This record gives sequence, C-alpha cells and structure tokens, in this order.
Amino acid sequence: MKVWEYILRRLLLAVLVIFGVSVVTFFIARVVPSDPAALWVGPRPSPDQIAAARVKLGLDRPLYIQYFYYLGNLLRGDLGVSIKTHQPIVRDLRAYLPATLELVLVGMAMAVFIGIPLGVLSAARRNRFLDHFSRLVAVASVSIPTFWLGLLLQLIFFGQLHWLPISGRVSIGTALYRPIQTVTGFYLVDTLITRNWPAFRDALTHIILPAFTLATYAIGLTIRMTRSTMVEVLQEKYIVAARAAGLSERTILFRLALKNAIVPTLTVLALSFVYSLTGAILVEVIFSWPGLGSYVTSAIINVDFPVIIAVTLVVTVFYVLINLVLDLVQVVLDPRVVLK
Amino acid sequence: MREPLISVRDLQVHFHTHAGVVHALNGVSFDLYPGEILGLVGETGCGKSVTGLALLGLIPPPGQVVGGEIRYRGQNILTLPPAQMRALRGGKIAMIFQDPAAALNPVFTVGEQIELVTRRHRRMGREAARRQAAEVLRSVGMPEPERILDTYPHELSGGMQQRVMIAMALSCGAEVLVADEPTTALDVTIQAQILDLLVDLKRTRGLSILLITHNLGVVAETCDRVAVLYAGFIVETGPTGAIFQSMKHPYTQGLLAAIPHPSSRGRPLQAVPGTVPDGLQLPPGCLFHPRCPFAWDRCRQERPVLREVADGHQVACHLYAGEAER
Ligand SMILES: Nc1ncnc2c1ncn2[C@@H]1O[C@H](COP(=O)(O)OP(=O)(O)OP(=O)(O)O)[C@@H](O)[C@H]1O
Ligand code: SF4
Ligand SMILES: [Mg+2]
Repeated sequence: MKVWEYILRRLLLAVLVIFGVSVVTFFIARVVPSDPAALWVGPRPSPDQIAAARVKLGLDRPLYIQYFYYLGNLLRGDLGVSIKTHQPIVRDLRAYLPATLELVLVGMAMAVFIGIPLGVLSAARRNRFLDHFSRLVAVASVSIPTFWLGLLLQLIFFGQLHWLPISGRVSIGTALYRPIQTVTGFYLVDTLITRNWPAFRDALTHIILPAFTLATYAIGLTIRMTRSTMVEVLQEKYIVAARAAGLSERTILFRLALKNAIVPTLTVLALSFVYSLTGAILVEVIFSWPGLGSYVTSAIINVDFPVIIAVTLVVTVFYVLINLVLDLVQVVLDPRVVLK
Repeated sequence: MREPLISVRDLQVHFHTHAGVVHALNGVSFDLYPGEILGLVGETGCGKSVTGLALLGLIPPPGQVVGGEIRYRGQNILTLPPAQMRALRGGKIAMIFQDPAAALNPVFTVGEQIELVTRRHRRMGREAARRQAAEVLRSVGMPEPERILDTYPHELSGGMQQRVMIAMALSCGAEVLVADEPTTALDVTIQAQILDLLVDLKRTRGLSILLITHNLGVVAETCDRVAVLYAGFIVETGPTGAIFQSMKHPYTQGLLAAIPHPSSRGRPLQAVPGTVPDGLQLPPGCLFHPRCPFAWDRCRQERPVLREVADGHQVACHLYAGEAER
C-alpha cells in the first residue's frame, strides 16, 4: 500500500517536472533570436507570406496564450508540427524513438552482461591478471573516441570479415522481400511476434555493431563502478561468514555480494541510458541509424523549436520514469531503504 | 583416552605486508575434544581470530599458513583440496562472529540465508529447507521461528541476530563451532543468554566449541578447558579449574592477577606491564621475556616448549622445565 502511495506521489511530481520543463523550453524557444514564421515559409520568403505564417502558427498572439494553446495540444498528445518539414512531430517520434530505444536498450544489455561480470570478477581477483585486463578494457572503452571505434568496427566486421552489415536497421533485401510489419517499432520485437525469422536475424546483425559502439562507454563505467562497490562489499563480515558457511564462490559473488553492490551500477546505467537517447548522434550518423539523436541534431541546426521542445519533453519523461524505477528497484533490493 | 576432534600442532601464520612479514601465529598447539568448550584467551592482537579462521581455512590474504598442521578427525585439513575444504566449512566446522549485525547479510531474509546454507550442504527442496530452517531456529531458542524466517536482520535485536548466526552455523549439523567473541557486542543479560545457549548446545548436541574471548569471567563460567595465547604462541593450556587456581605461566599469572574484583569482569585484558611484541619483529627466545619478571639468560636464547606439569595441564616456560634440564 505504502509503495503505491509513493509511486502515485512520485508520478504527480513527475507531471510537475514535465510541466516545468515544458514552460522553460517553450519560453527559451521564444526569446532566442530566430523567426519561426520565416523558417516555416522557407528560403527567400515575401513579407506577406511571413505574416500569413505568423497568423497560422499563432505567433501573433501574446506569449502566454501561445503557451496555453501549446499545453492544450500537448495534453491531447499533439506535440505540434516541425517547422522545417511541416510533419507532425508525433509521427516522426513514432519512427525515431523506437529505433533509438531499441539501440540503447541492446547497448545497455551489453553493458550489463559484459560490464557487471567483469566488474565482479575483477573485484574478486583484485590485482591479479583479470583485474588488470578489465582495467585496461575499462580505460580503453571510456577513452576511445566513438567515431573512431565505430569506423574501426565497420572496417573489421564488415570490411575484412564480412560478418556484419555496415549500416541501417535492416538490409534492402529484407525491406523488399520480408518487410517488417510495424507493431511496436522495435524491429527485434516486431519480427519475433510476426515470426519473421529472416528479418529478425537481419535486424539482429544490424544492431550489434552500433549497439556495441554505443555501449562501450557504459561498459567501461559499469566495470569500474561494479568493481569498486564490490571491493568494498567483499570486505564485509557477512562475506567472511558466507565463506565460513561453505557457500560457493559463485553464490557469494553473484548472489550475496552483488545484491549489496548493484545500486550504484544501476544508477550509472540509468544515466547512460537517458544520455544515450539523444547523445548517440555519432553512432547514429556512422551507422545510418534513424534515431532521435540525428533527429534532434538536425532540428537544432534548423532552429526547429517545436521538435527540440518535443524531444526535450520525451527525454524528460524518460529521465523522470527511470529515476522512479531506480528508486523502486532500490527498495526491492534493500529492505533498509525507506520511501520518503 | 578420547580422540580429539580437532588437533592443532605448531601452527604458524605469516602476513606478508608492505612493512614486512608479520608473524601472527608462532606455534599454536591445542586439542579440541568432542563435546567440550575450549576457551582461547589473550590480549588484543595475539592471534585469536587468525587461529579461529585458520580452522576454517579462511586466513585472509596476505596471510599464509607457513608451518604446522590442523587435523580434523586425523585428517590434515591444510592439505585438503578446496572443494573438500568447502564441504567441511559449514558442514562440519562452523564459525560465528563478534558482531552479528555485520555478519548477517542485510539484504536477504533470515530464512533465505539459512536455506542457502542448508541447501548448499544437503540436497533438499525449497519447502524442506524452509522447514529445516524453522526447526534449527527453534532449536536455538528462537520464539516464533516461522515469522523470523521472513524478517531481515536489521529487524532483530543483537541477541536474536546472534541466535540466527548460531542457527545458521548449526543448520548443517556442524560438530565444531568456532565462536569468535560471540558476546562482546551484546549487553550483559543477552550475553549470559547466548553463553547459556552455547553450553546447552554442548550438552544436548555434543557440540565442540572453540570459544574465543578476552573476558576471563566468560571463560570461568563456560569453558571446560582454557588455552592462553600470547603473541601467536600458546603459553599455557589446561582445565579451567587448574588454570584459575594453579596457573603456572608468568603471563597467565599476570592476566589473572589483573582481575582484582568481580566487577571488573568484562573489561578487556590489560594485564601485564609492557606491550605485546610487534609481529614484525619478535624477540628471540621466550616471546614473553621482555615483560617477564622472572626472565633469565636462557629465556632470551631458547624458546620454551609446552610441557605437561599436571594431568592435562601444559605450560611453555623454562621455570617448569625438568630439574635436570634446568
Ligand atoms: N589482514 C591482515 N594483515 C596483516 N596482519 C594481520 C591481518 N590480520 C591479522 N593480522 C595480524 O595478526 C595478528 C593477530 O590478529 P588477530 O585478529 O587474530 O588478533 P585477535 O587476538 O583476534 O585480536 P582482537 O582481540 O583484537 O580480536 C595481529 O596482530 C595482526 O598483526
Ligand atoms: S620462559 Fe622465562 S621469560 Fe618466558 S615466561 Fe618463563 S620465565 Fe618468563
Ligand atoms: Mg579478534
């Protein structure tokens, strides 16, 4: 019961945060010296055209009225129209957001399944070979420039080995002969539920390189964060007690110790996740991945404020939700944590 | 003559630190018989905990056993393969610690922790493990064991936590319990209850307990025999009565003289003037000679060995060497 009350309270708070963010971004958008009406009309507009666009976009009305219209639309799920492309933003997001989410989620899964075990084992074998090795991996993965790594991986796995495709979400062949029916927009999920196996395979091979490139930084952080908390936890008396009880090293490391050490790692992963929603631009460009990063970057270049605001709101929603989930996970993991 | 369950001979443990080699144990020898409580006493840093951990093969790095042997039922456990040693730990030899709050995993329920141990050592299903966990909790005098299974350690009092630790230690039918200062962190009434429980377990189950403590009052009340440790070396061992009434070693005499009044019971041992030798640089000859009022030339050159002075009462001191030798 208490938990539901807490979730409800946090969700209300989230609505406030999102409202606040919408206000701030909206007004920033209006004070920046650029003319949306001129952008809307396109290159070399006539004054009449601009004036007409101004009325059409409602820019002739007072700012607070504009905001209330905007908010009203927002509540109806309408994020407005791109000034540049004149496309409804919701439609764009429906294409770009799942692409990005899929990429980021696969990347985070890699960070979890590579980073956490390496972190745990290097804490357990402190200052031995595996630890030095994983330190090297971690340092390399946070310091290698993304674009360089992306190109290198393309060179190796596409150019030399011909194992993996170079770019895009699926190959042209799949698009033509085994088209993916969009249900969720996540190709891996959609191909699974429609049992489109060749397309699933194709989507999977396409996502490996970009997801790994995106995940390297998170992998490095995860290794180091997991290692450092695990090193602390492994010195606790209850670990000695678990050894004294004859429990296996695997149980001790991956069950008894890890549950005590996981929260900082999850925090790092959550932050990487949110960051990657828009921060994956380099990866998206290198691998021609039609994601949110490229979308918002071109919006920024074009001063396409409705798009910038909409993406900001989407990221805010994710940020708020992820934090809520993180807090709840913490409660589940540690009975001593009390919800405030 | 009964066979000892555990027999430690000339155990030597070194810690290889940056500052140099710390000589933590320098010849620890004692026997632990079935169904007895042996008290291991000595000042702080004399190697009590290291001795206890050694019995479970758990000397922490950079520590290393460099000599001697530990026999369990005649088998030298120092040479056992890791898998067999692990089966012994918790299965036959178990350990409980000074601070039960720290020795219990805070994020697992009491039941989960006990079941993990029982299922590690005996093949059984979830249900059976849970029933067994409740049973073992009841056997250590825990009220409402079923409810306790679903609680987390921080919801229990210190005394209850220590009972849980004992339950966990015994859940696989351990024969030997190493109890490292099991009551030091508890308040006095709870302390007495836990000690009563240990004595009770000895009587009813025939459990053998190595009771590590620096509280001589505890020793007098609960232990059948005592071993006195000084600088990682057993200087005297014998039946509790003999040690308290006719202690022989100058160090033991100092220890006991330092309890002038029953009210000082429970204070840490600070017995004899001078300080414990630094493990990095041990004195030659008798380790106690720099502090010993009786020391003479021989003490500075030759390390004494344990010699029987009365039935089951052994002392390592040149004062009690045979007349001829002396
Ligand atoms: N991890 C370690 N690294 C280096 N030296 C150690 C380590 N653990 C123990 N020692 C050495 O071993 C000696 C014995 O330590 P031990 O913990 O057994 O003492 P103790 O008798 O249990 O003391 P206390 O009454 O304070 O618990 C210490 O003096 C210390 O120098
Ligand atoms: S051997 Fe010598 S120095 Fe050591 S305790 Fe006996 S009398 Fe004292
Ligand atoms: Mg100790």
